[in-house]
Amino acid sequence: MSVVQAFSTWLHSTRLGWAVAGGVPWIWPLCETLHFMGLALLMGVVSVFDLRMLGMAKGLPLGPLQRLMPWAILGFVINLTTGFMFFAGDPFQYIHNVAFGMKLLFIGLAGVNVIVFYVSGLYRHVDNVGAGQDVPVAAKLIAAASLFLWVGVMYWGRMLPFIGNAF
Amino acid sequence: MMQFLASVENTRFSIWVRESSSLWAYPTILFMHTVGLGFLVGLNAAIDLRILGFARRMPLAPMERFFGIMWAAFWVNAVSGTMLLVADATTKLTNTVFYIKLGFIALGVVNMVLIRRRIFRDPALDVDARPIGRFGRLLAATSLVFWGGAITAGRLMAYFGPVSGAPGLQNRIP
Repeated sequence: MSVVQAFSTWLHSTRLGWAVAGGVPWIWPLCETLHFMGLALLMGVVSVFDLRMLGMAKGLPLGPLQRLMPWAILGFVINLTTGFMFFAGDPFQYIHNVAFGMKLLFIGLAGVNVIVFYVSGLYRHVDNVGAGQDVPVAAKLIAAASLFLWVGVMYWGRMLPFIGNAF
Repeated sequence: MMQFLASVENTRFSIWVRESSSLWAYPTILFMHTVGLGFLVGLNAAIDLRILGFARRMPLAPMERFFGIMWAAFWVNAVSGTMLLVADATTKLTNTVFYIKLGFIALGVVNMVLIRRRIFRDPALDVDARPIGRFGRLLAATSLVFWGGAITAGRLMAYFGPVSGAPGLQNRIP
């Protein structure tokens, strides 16, 4: 048995797995609702940031705009938590699901994109970009990749029941 | 009435949306509805948070540019939502939760127009980086509540009352 399968079997047998799988019937709908609120929070704040870097609403200085980022992180943490709970409730509908694999891949790539943004020093540069100023082309590429990847995450998430077999 | 809803549900288009095995039918329409949600609710929330005082050193006025995207996202969702609705007219239009969702959306849209008129059109906006007044902050708070309500009702349509959805889509709670 693979590690993934062993982990899934164990997780499914925990109290958490039992509760999410229907043992406590309101948990699944609640997690779905929170998952969509987290999605909106993450997409909203990230897209303001990305669209500004791409040249929209240039009157926004990027340093102060970064102060909204904790809200995007909050959205991500909400979705990581609720997503983990869906997995605990029914791991076997996900582990062989192509759409689930693609969703994780896109989340991973979006993470790498953020890491490149920080490690390359673009973050510090962009932090000083004031109202009306342009960001470097490299930062625009990061912004475009970010929008593409996060919309992609939504795509694969939505395709879970249709390409794979999860709901 | 039920007969009318059934005829709406049985047009060739409705049947295609609901029963086609093509990814371009139900799955892609549902995906568009999700993208629209992300941008409409997400950008509204970002503006609301700024009005409530987060990222205070950032001027609010330039954010008016995002209203264009918010309206585009609203129309994407009005169109995709109508497509999903006609595919399951007999269940969705007899489900109280659907009308609660529509109510929250109406409130959210009116709220969004008010935020633009009362806050963005205020000549004193961003002057001396002063905080937004009490009425403006109230509008931001109600905006968050209305959009949160629309999301919650939209999700719960799959669990209360007559339930619909593409074949293969099951709901967790029997």
